[in-house]
Amino acid sequence: MERSFIMRNPSVLWFLLALAVFTLGVTILSEAFGIGGLSTSFIKTLGKTLCLCLIAVAMDVVWGYCGILSLGHFAFFGLGGYAIGMWLMYARTEEIVVNSLNEAAIPPTQQEIIDGIGTQIFGVVGSSEFPLIWAFSHSLGLQLLMVVLVPGLLALVFGWLAFRSRVTGVYLSILTQAMTLALALYLFQNDSGLRGNNGLSGLQNIPGLDHLGQATISMWFFWASAIALGAGYVLFAWVTSGKMGSVIRGIRDDESRVRFLGYHVESYKLFVFTLTAVVAGIAGALYYPQAGIINPAEIAPIASIYLAVWVAIGGRGRLYGAVIGAAFVSLLSSWFTGGGAPSIPLGFYTIQWTDWWLVLLGVSFVAVTLFFPKGIGGLFDYLVRKDP
Amino acid sequence: MSTLLEVSGVTVSFDGFRAINNLSFQIGEPELRAVIGPNGAGKTTFMDIITGKTKPDEGRVIWGEKSVSLLDMSESAIARAGVGRKFQKPTVFEDQTVRENLAMALKNPRGPFDVLWYKKTSQGAEKIEEIAEEIGLTDELKRRAGDLSHGQKQWLEIGMLLAQDPRLLLIDEPAAGMTPAEREHTTDLIKRAAETCAVVVIEHDMEFVRRLNCKVTVLHEGAVLAEGSLDHVTQNQDVIDVYLGR
Repeated sequence: MERSFIMRNPSVLWFLLALAVFTLGVTILSEAFGIGGLSTSFIKTLGKTLCLCLIAVAMDVVWGYCGILSLGHFAFFGLGGYAIGMWLMYARTEEIVVNSLNEAAIPPTQQEIIDGIGTQIFGVVGSSEFPLIWAFSHSLGLQLLMVVLVPGLLALVFGWLAFRSRVTGVYLSILTQAMTLALALYLFQNDSGLRGNNGLSGLQNIPGLDHLGQATISMWFFWASAIALGAGYVLFAWVTSGKMGSVIRGIRDDESRVRFLGYHVESYKLFVFTLTAVVAGIAGALYYPQAGIINPAEIAPIASIYLAVWVAIGGRGRLYGAVIGAAFVSLLSSWFTGGGAPSIPLGFYTIQWTDWWLVLLGVSFVAVTLFFPKGIGGLFDYLVRKDP
Repeated sequence: MSTLLEVSGVTVSFDGFRAINNLSFQIGEPELRAVIGPNGAGKTTFMDIITGKTKPDEGRVIWGEKSVSLLDMSESAIARAGVGRKFQKPTVFEDQTVRENLAMALKNPRGPFDVLWYKKTSQGAEKIEEIAEEIGLTDELKRRAGDLSHGQKQWLEIGMLLAQDPRLLLIDEPAAGMTPAEREHTTDLIKRAAETCAVVVIEHDMEFVRRLNCKVTVLHEGAVLAEGSLDHVTQNQDVIDVYLGR
């Protein structure tokens, strides 16, 4: 049935094709598997961008299709990153500790190894004890499960409380902002168990794969990100099509009408909120090993607001719009803030883009909202006109 | 004809104002009933109570053969039990096609996962065609609901109620803003629906009520003022004083 679904939705097929061509092109231009030409750090930027596209698609489903303006989805992204980061850091530190202790005359005991890892990881916050939340950090499988479970459960509990009380509109947005802010502030504390504002670092070093080198590993993550984006896109295209899509869009446009048709609106919102949170967690788990570091600043409220801006600029209510918005704005953002854009001397004043990029972004957001409510993706409507 | 819905002794206050005051009301199945009354008589609040949108301070709302209380049920559960509601302003999903609107209303399992795995059936498609013909929108099935005329939207909404296979239909001012020809079609629709289920029509327009040719309940200040045939209630002195005399 999955096949017939893709056949019925040609835009999904076109998207997968474009993604495949892009992935192939990058592979050919990579240092590790092709002719070279794209630096490893740029491959990482592209891989990270794919992860941002994935969370943007999730955001589009929850906001553009279901009408829930969540300004907290980056919290789920960050939690996914922390979950995988805990294993990466533990296993990597374990390698180092075991290697150094093996050089000693007496072979180390298991307790010495664990103490050594604890000191290495938590010394920076003045501790050497493993907090309870690190109980599964030795196991890749269990931490991968956490990537899905932690954001999923948080979204389930938060969503259940919020939707059950019929909190909607801007009040819900504020509530989601409060959630991500509270989480960030908690993680900033040294005794949160996740190294406070230091966050988790060295995540680009994949335990056991040191011999491969970053050029190869970056390509692996790039491919994984591309596959995740493709799979996530198909999943959400499926969810937003057919009768489910009909009900979800109905909730966006007239919640009480859907309720009087006999649908339990809260269950649907909870389903969409939780599913998108889980996908956001997976996107985060792929993003942070490419970024190399995660700290609480990543899930500051502003990150989730940027996410909404990407989706708005790209075009709400169409999945490819979210992809375009996230890719376009985040790549442009790193170009402007990374000093790529030339400064503009005005004689009396010089426009430095590192300072003025946010102004430009803000102005474009307002302009898109006022003049092109369908965003960049809306341009496709003019090109592909199926129904009059 | 057995009693389908029994509202007894219901009272609702908003900030001290008694919108519904010890109201009692019964309707059987099938039956057609018109509810009239001046503005602020509590007609919409009355519908809000039955559909679960407003919880009364006192009183009982009893439903069906098993005499279950609707007061303990959520709006969506009441709708699933068989109460369909049409709002005064036509509320259809303008962004979706007529077919999608009707398909959403079709009586099927309503849980998120039921809907996610839902497959179109030929019975469903037949039922949609049948209703589309009934409401006169067969040629419009592929059109966006937002592109329909005002009257067509009203019919679509009635069609959505019919697709739910309801036992009780609550219809708020169906003829508002319609041309005479559209009114006639609407009257026929309502009368046909009332052959199989209970229908309550709230209406201001006396001419429209006369055409429905059914029992009339007059509401005033949140309570029943008179009940009976249209001729009977229009000769009632209380009714003339508060409503018709103005």
